Amino acid sequence: MEERQLVRLAQEGSPAAFEELVAKYQAKVFSMALSFTRNREAADDLAQEVFLKAYLALPRFHGKSEFGTWLYRISINHIKDYLRKKGRAKEVSLEDVPEVSFSDKEQAERAEQERETEARRHLVREFVQGLPEKYRVILTLRDIQGLAYEQISQVLHLSPGTVDSRLHRARRMLRKKLAPHLIGERGAHEL
Amino acid sequence: MNCNKAEKWVLRSLDGRLDGRSEGLLREHLEACPSCRKAETEYRSMLALLRDGGEAAPLPRFWERLEPRLREEMEIAPLVFWERSCLRAIPVFLVLVGIAAGALFFTPQAAELSQSEALLLENVDPFSETGQIFSADKADTRNMMLIFASLEEKTPDRRPMP
Repeated sequence: MEERQLVRLAQEGSPAAFEELVAKYQAKVFSMALSFTRNREAADDLAQEVFLKAYLALPRFHGKSEFGTWLYRISINHIKDYLRKKGRAKEVSLEDVPEVSFSDKEQAERAEQERETEARRHLVREFVQGLPEKYRVILTLRDIQGLAYEQISQVLHLSPGTVDSRLHRARRMLRKKLAPHLIGERGAHEL
Repeated sequence: MNCNKAEKWVLRSLDGRLDGRSEGLLREHLEACPSCRKAETEYRSMLALLRDGGEAAPLPRFWERLEPRLREEMEIAPLVFWERSCLRAIPVFLVLVGIAAGALFFTPQAAELSQSEALLLENVDPFSETGQIFSADKADTRNMMLIFASLEEKTPDRRPMP
Protein backbone atom coordinates (compact mmCIF):
# COMPACT_ATOMS: atom_id res chain seq x y z
CA MET A 1 0.00 0.00 0.00
CA GLU A 2 1.22 3.51 -0.79
CA GLU A 3 2.46 5.70 2.03
CA ARG A 4 -0.12 8.43 1.37
CA GLN A 5 -2.89 5.88 1.62
CA LEU A 6 -1.43 4.48 4.84
CA VAL A 7 -1.26 7.97 6.31
CA ARG A 8 -4.87 8.68 5.33
CA LEU A 9 -6.04 5.40 6.88
CA ALA A 10 -4.04 6.11 10.04
CA GLN A 11 -5.65 9.55 10.21
CA GLU A 12 -9.03 7.85 10.01
CA GLY A 13 -8.02 5.80 13.06
CA SER A 14 -6.69 2.56 11.57
CA PRO A 15 -4.12 1.07 13.98
CA ALA A 16 -2.99 -1.40 11.31
CA ALA A 17 -2.06 1.43 8.96
CA PHE A 18 -0.16 3.22 11.69
CA GLU A 19 1.58 -0.03 12.60
CA GLU A 20 2.84 -0.27 9.01
CA LEU A 21 4.15 3.29 9.16
CA VAL A 22 5.88 2.52 12.46
CA ALA A 23 7.44 -0.61 10.97
CA LYS A 24 8.74 1.44 8.06
CA TYR A 25 10.27 4.24 10.12
CA GLN A 26 11.08 2.74 13.53
CA ALA A 27 14.70 1.91 12.65
CA LYS A 28 15.30 5.37 11.18
CA VAL A 29 13.81 7.20 14.16
CA PHE A 30 15.59 4.91 16.61
CA SER A 31 18.95 5.34 14.83
CA MET A 32 18.57 9.08 14.86
CA ALA A 33 17.82 9.06 18.59
CA LEU A 34 20.72 6.68 19.17
CA SER A 35 23.17 8.86 17.30
CA PHE A 36 22.30 11.75 19.60
CA THR A 37 21.95 9.94 22.93
CA ARG A 38 24.30 7.00 22.31
CA ASN A 39 22.25 4.99 24.75
CA ARG A 40 19.99 2.23 23.42
CA GLU A 41 17.37 2.41 26.18
CA ALA A 42 17.09 6.19 26.00
CA ALA A 43 16.94 6.05 22.20
CA ASP A 44 14.21 3.42 22.33
CA ASP A 45 12.19 5.53 24.76
CA LEU A 46 12.64 8.59 22.57
CA ALA A 47 11.58 6.67 19.46
CA GLN A 48 8.42 5.48 21.23
CA GLU A 49 7.63 9.03 22.34
CA VAL A 50 8.20 10.34 18.82
CA PHE A 51 5.64 7.89 17.44
CA LEU A 52 3.20 8.77 20.22
CA LYS A 53 3.56 12.45 19.35
CA ALA A 54 3.19 11.72 15.67
CA TYR A 55 0.04 9.67 16.26
CA LEU A 56 -1.57 12.45 18.28
CA ALA A 57 -0.51 15.04 15.72
CA LEU A 58 -1.69 13.01 12.71
CA PRO A 59 -4.95 15.00 12.33
CA ARG A 60 -2.81 18.12 11.83
CA PHE A 61 -0.68 16.52 9.10
CA HIS A 62 -1.96 17.89 5.79
CA GLY A 63 0.53 16.19 3.52
CA LYS A 64 2.35 19.39 2.54
CA SER A 65 5.61 17.48 2.96
CA GLU A 66 6.43 13.80 2.87
CA PHE A 67 5.35 11.83 5.94
CA GLY A 68 8.99 10.85 6.54
CA THR A 69 10.12 14.48 6.51
CA TRP A 70 7.34 15.43 8.91
CA LEU A 71 8.31 12.54 11.20
CA TYR A 72 11.99 13.54 11.11
CA ARG A 73 11.01 17.07 12.10
CA ILE A 74 9.09 15.72 15.11
CA SER A 75 12.04 13.47 15.96
CA ILE A 76 14.62 16.25 15.79
CA ASN A 77 12.52 18.60 17.91
CA HIS A 78 11.79 15.91 20.47
CA ILE A 79 15.42 14.80 20.69
CA LYS A 80 16.58 18.42 21.04
CA ASP A 81 14.07 18.95 23.88
CA TYR A 82 15.27 15.78 25.55
CA LEU A 83 18.92 16.81 25.30
CA ARG A 84 18.16 20.25 26.62
CA LYS A 85 16.32 18.78 29.61
CA LYS A 86 19.15 16.36 30.20
CA GLY A 87 21.61 19.24 30.06
CA ARG A 88 23.39 17.34 27.35
CA ALA A 89 24.60 14.87 29.95
CA LYS A 90 26.78 12.30 28.32
CA GLU A 91 25.15 8.95 28.03
CA VAL A 92 28.10 6.98 26.95
CA SER A 93 28.85 3.83 28.82
CA LEU A 94 31.22 0.97 28.28
CA GLU A 95 28.18 -1.22 27.70
CA ASP A 96 27.84 0.46 24.31
CA VAL A 97 30.79 -1.56 23.12
CA PRO A 98 29.56 -5.14 22.80
CA GLU A 99 31.36 -7.86 24.68
CA VAL A 100 32.43 -10.88 22.63
CA SER A 101 33.49 -14.28 23.75
CA PHE A 102 36.74 -15.83 22.54
CA SER A 103 36.95 -19.52 21.80
CA ASP A 104 39.83 -19.90 19.33
CA LYS A 105 42.47 -17.68 17.72
CA GLU A 106 40.48 -16.85 14.57
CA GLN A 107 37.40 -15.96 16.51
CA ALA A 108 39.49 -13.91 18.88
CA GLU A 109 41.02 -11.99 15.96
CA ARG A 110 37.61 -11.37 14.42
CA ALA A 111 36.32 -10.24 17.76
CA GLU A 112 39.29 -7.96 18.13
CA GLN A 113 38.62 -6.46 14.69
CA GLU A 114 34.97 -5.92 15.56
CA ARG A 115 35.94 -4.26 18.80
CA GLU A 116 38.38 -2.01 16.95
CA THR A 117 35.75 -1.03 14.41
CA GLU A 118 33.31 -0.33 17.18
CA ALA A 119 35.93 1.68 19.02
CA ARG A 120 36.52 3.77 15.86
CA ARG A 121 32.84 4.44 15.43
CA HIS A 122 32.67 5.24 19.10
CA LEU A 123 35.46 7.80 18.80
CA VAL A 124 33.94 9.45 15.72
CA ARG A 125 30.52 9.71 17.41
CA GLU A 126 32.23 11.11 20.48
CA PHE A 127 33.73 13.89 18.37
CA VAL A 128 30.37 14.49 16.68
CA GLN A 129 28.81 14.95 20.11
CA GLY A 130 31.39 17.61 20.84
CA LEU A 131 30.29 19.79 17.91
CA PRO A 132 27.96 22.77 18.45
CA GLU A 133 24.30 21.71 18.18
CA LYS A 134 23.55 23.18 14.75
CA TYR A 135 26.53 21.40 13.20
CA ARG A 136 25.89 18.17 15.09
CA VAL A 137 22.29 18.04 13.89
CA ILE A 138 23.09 18.63 10.24
CA LEU A 139 26.01 16.19 10.25
CA THR A 140 23.87 13.52 11.89
CA LEU A 141 21.06 13.97 9.39
CA ARG A 142 23.33 13.87 6.37
CA ASP A 143 26.30 11.67 7.18
CA ILE A 144 24.85 9.29 9.74
CA GLN A 145 21.19 9.10 8.72
CA GLY A 146 21.86 9.65 5.03
CA LEU A 147 19.04 12.14 4.41
CA ALA A 148 19.04 13.97 1.08
CA TYR A 149 19.92 17.68 1.03
CA GLU A 150 16.36 18.64 0.08
CA GLN A 151 14.94 16.59 2.94
CA ILE A 152 17.34 18.19 5.45
CA SER A 153 16.34 21.58 4.11
CA GLN A 154 12.67 20.77 4.78
CA VAL A 155 13.24 19.14 8.17
CA LEU A 156 15.32 22.04 9.52
CA HIS A 157 13.52 24.81 7.62
CA LEU A 158 16.79 25.96 6.09
CA SER A 159 17.56 27.07 2.56
CA PRO A 160 19.56 24.56 0.47
CA GLY A 161 22.45 27.04 0.43
CA THR A 162 22.53 27.19 4.23
CA VAL A 163 22.40 23.39 4.44
CA ASP A 164 25.35 23.19 2.05
CA SER A 165 27.51 25.74 3.84
CA ARG A 166 26.64 24.53 7.34
CA LEU A 167 27.36 20.93 6.42
CA HIS A 168 30.66 21.93 4.87
CA ARG A 169 31.65 23.78 8.03
CA ALA A 170 30.56 20.85 10.23
CA ARG A 171 32.64 18.38 8.22
CA ARG A 172 35.68 20.67 8.31
CA MET A 173 35.36 21.00 12.08
CA LEU A 174 35.05 17.26 12.52
CA ARG A 175 37.98 16.53 10.23
CA LYS A 176 40.13 18.95 12.16
CA LYS A 177 39.33 17.11 15.38
CA LEU A 178 39.74 13.68 13.85
CA ALA A 179 42.82 14.43 11.72
CA PRO A 180 45.36 12.84 14.07
CA HIS A 181 43.33 9.62 14.04
CA LEU A 182 42.37 9.43 10.38
CA ILE A 183 44.12 7.44 7.66
CA GLY A 184 46.87 9.54 6.13
CA GLU A 185 48.22 9.19 2.64
CA ARG A 186 50.95 6.82 3.77
CA GLY A 187 48.69 4.98 6.16
CA ALA A 188 50.04 6.74 9.23
CA HIS A 189 47.79 7.27 12.24
CA GLU A 190 45.29 4.75 11.02
CA LEU A 191 41.98 4.79 12.78
CA MET B 1 41.82 26.06 -8.65
CA ASN B 2 42.82 26.98 -5.12
CA CYS B 3 42.85 24.53 -2.21
CA ASN B 4 39.76 26.03 -0.49
CA LYS B 5 37.68 25.46 -3.59
CA ALA B 6 39.18 22.01 -4.00
CA GLU B 7 38.14 21.10 -0.45
CA LYS B 8 34.54 22.13 -1.20
CA TRP B 9 34.58 20.15 -4.40
CA VAL B 10 36.06 17.10 -2.66
CA LEU B 11 33.08 17.04 -0.31
CA ARG B 12 30.63 17.55 -3.17
CA SER B 13 32.34 14.78 -5.07
CA LEU B 14 32.06 12.42 -2.08
CA ASP B 15 28.35 13.30 -1.93
CA GLY B 16 28.02 12.55 -5.66
CA ARG B 17 27.02 16.14 -6.35
CA LEU B 18 29.82 17.20 -8.69
CA ASP B 19 29.33 17.30 -12.46
CA GLY B 20 31.74 15.53 -14.81
CA ARG B 21 33.69 18.59 -15.90
CA SER B 22 34.25 19.81 -12.35
CA GLU B 23 35.20 16.28 -11.31
CA GLY B 24 37.91 16.32 -14.00
CA LEU B 25 39.24 19.67 -12.82
CA LEU B 26 39.28 18.41 -9.24
CA ARG B 27 41.21 15.24 -10.20
CA GLU B 28 43.78 17.43 -11.97
CA HIS B 29 44.20 19.55 -8.85
CA LEU B 30 44.43 16.51 -6.58
CA GLU B 31 47.18 14.99 -8.69
CA ALA B 32 49.24 18.13 -8.31
CA CYS B 33 48.41 18.91 -4.65
CA PRO B 34 49.46 16.42 -1.92
CA SER B 35 47.71 18.31 0.91
CA CYS B 36 44.34 18.22 -0.91
CA ARG B 37 44.92 14.55 -1.69
CA LYS B 38 45.48 13.95 2.01
CA ALA B 39 42.33 15.92 2.81
CA GLU B 40 40.35 13.80 0.36
CA THR B 41 41.61 10.57 1.93
CA GLU B 42 40.75 11.85 5.39
CA TYR B 43 37.28 12.98 4.37
CA ARG B 44 36.63 9.66 2.66
CA SER B 45 37.69 7.77 5.77
CA MET B 46 35.69 10.05 8.06
CA LEU B 47 32.47 9.78 6.04
CA ALA B 48 32.84 6.02 5.79
CA LEU B 49 33.07 5.80 9.57
CA LEU B 50 30.09 8.07 10.03
CA ARG B 51 27.95 6.21 7.52
CA ASP B 52 29.00 2.83 8.83
CA GLY B 53 26.26 1.44 11.06
CA GLY B 54 23.98 4.41 10.49
CA GLU B 55 20.79 2.44 10.92
CA ALA B 56 20.26 0.36 14.03
CA ALA B 57 17.27 -1.72 15.08
CA PRO B 58 15.31 -0.62 18.13
CA LEU B 59 14.80 -2.89 21.12
CA PRO B 60 12.60 -5.94 20.43
CA ARG B 61 8.78 -5.83 20.24
CA PHE B 62 8.75 -2.12 19.44
CA TRP B 63 5.13 -2.07 18.20
CA GLU B 64 3.89 -4.38 20.99
CA ARG B 65 5.26 -1.90 23.51
CA LEU B 66 4.02 1.13 21.61
CA GLU B 67 0.45 0.01 20.99
CA PRO B 68 -0.78 0.04 24.64
CA ARG B 69 0.78 3.49 25.07
CA LEU B 70 -1.10 4.71 22.00
CA ARG B 71 -4.38 3.33 23.33
CA GLU B 72 -3.74 4.93 26.71
CA GLU B 73 -2.94 8.28 25.07
CA MET B 74 -6.09 8.09 22.97
CA GLU B 75 -8.16 7.54 26.09
CA ILE B 76 -6.62 10.60 27.72
CA ALA B 77 -6.53 12.68 24.56
CA PRO B 78 -10.29 13.47 24.34
CA LEU B 79 -10.25 14.63 27.97
CA VAL B 80 -7.19 16.75 27.37
CA PHE B 81 -8.86 18.18 24.28
CA TRP B 82 -11.99 18.98 26.30
CA GLU B 83 -9.95 20.65 29.03
CA ARG B 84 -8.04 22.69 26.47
CA SER B 85 -11.28 23.68 24.76
CA CYS B 86 -12.71 24.78 28.10
CA LEU B 87 -9.64 26.87 28.84
CA ARG B 88 -9.87 28.49 25.44
CA ALA B 89 -13.60 29.09 25.93
CA ILE B 90 -13.13 31.10 29.13
CA PRO B 91 -11.77 34.32 27.54
CA VAL B 92 -14.30 34.02 24.70
CA PHE B 93 -17.10 33.69 27.26
CA LEU B 94 -15.82 36.72 29.20
CA VAL B 95 -15.67 38.82 26.03
CA LEU B 96 -19.24 37.81 25.15
CA VAL B 97 -20.45 38.68 28.66
CA GLY B 98 -18.68 42.06 28.37
CA ILE B 99 -20.34 42.79 25.03
CA ALA B 100 -23.75 41.80 26.36
CA ALA B 101 -23.28 43.94 29.49
CA GLY B 102 -22.15 46.90 27.38
CA ALA B 103 -25.14 46.54 25.09
CA LEU B 104 -27.51 46.48 28.06
CA PHE B 105 -25.81 49.45 29.72
CA PHE B 106 -25.68 51.69 26.68
CA THR B 107 -29.06 50.86 25.14
CA PRO B 108 -31.65 53.43 26.35
CA GLN B 109 -34.43 51.74 28.30
CA ALA B 110 -38.01 52.25 27.21
CA ALA B 111 -38.95 53.59 30.66
CA GLU B 112 -36.34 56.36 30.41
CA LEU B 113 -37.53 57.62 27.06
CA SER B 114 -39.63 60.70 26.78
CA GLN B 115 -42.82 60.40 24.82
CA SER B 116 -41.37 62.22 21.83
CA GLU B 117 -38.22 60.01 21.95
CA ALA B 118 -40.43 56.93 22.08
CA LEU B 119 -42.41 58.23 19.12
CA LEU B 120 -39.20 58.93 17.20
CA LEU B 121 -38.00 55.37 17.95
CA GLU B 122 -41.30 54.08 16.60
CA ASN B 123 -40.72 56.21 13.50
CA VAL B 124 -43.79 58.39 14.26
CA ASP B 125 -43.73 62.19 13.92
CA PRO B 126 -43.68 63.53 17.51
CA PHE B 127 -45.27 66.81 16.34
CA SER B 128 -48.37 65.17 14.89
CA GLU B 129 -50.22 65.35 18.25
CA THR B 130 -49.02 68.91 18.91
CA GLY B 131 -50.14 69.84 15.42
CA GLN B 132 -53.63 68.57 16.18
CA ILE B 133 -53.72 70.65 19.38
CA PHE B 134 -52.67 73.82 17.66
CA SER B 135 -54.99 73.26 14.78
CA ALA B 136 -58.03 73.27 17.13
CA ASP B 137 -60.29 76.20 16.47
CA LYS B 138 -61.22 77.26 19.98
CA ALA B 139 -58.72 78.45 22.54
CA ASP B 140 -60.56 76.52 25.34
CA THR B 141 -60.35 73.30 23.37
CA ARG B 142 -56.66 73.91 22.80
CA ASN B 143 -56.06 74.50 26.50
CA MET B 144 -57.99 71.41 27.49
CA MET B 145 -56.10 69.32 24.95
CA LEU B 146 -52.79 70.66 26.28
CA ILE B 147 -53.81 69.80 29.88
CA PHE B 148 -54.80 66.25 28.90
CA ALA B 149 -51.63 65.81 26.84
CA SER B 150 -49.50 66.83 29.79
CA LEU B 151 -51.40 64.40 32.06
CA GLU B 152 -50.67 61.58 29.62
CA GLU B 153 -46.97 62.46 29.69
CA LYS B 154 -45.10 59.50 31.23
CA THR B 155 -42.12 61.45 32.53
CA PRO B 156 -43.05 62.84 35.92
CA ASP B 157 -40.78 65.91 35.79
CA ARG B 158 -42.57 67.18 32.71
CA ARG B 159 -45.95 66.91 34.34
CA PRO B 160 -47.31 70.31 35.50
CA MET B 161 -47.10 70.44 39.24
CA PRO B 162 -50.09 71.72 41.17
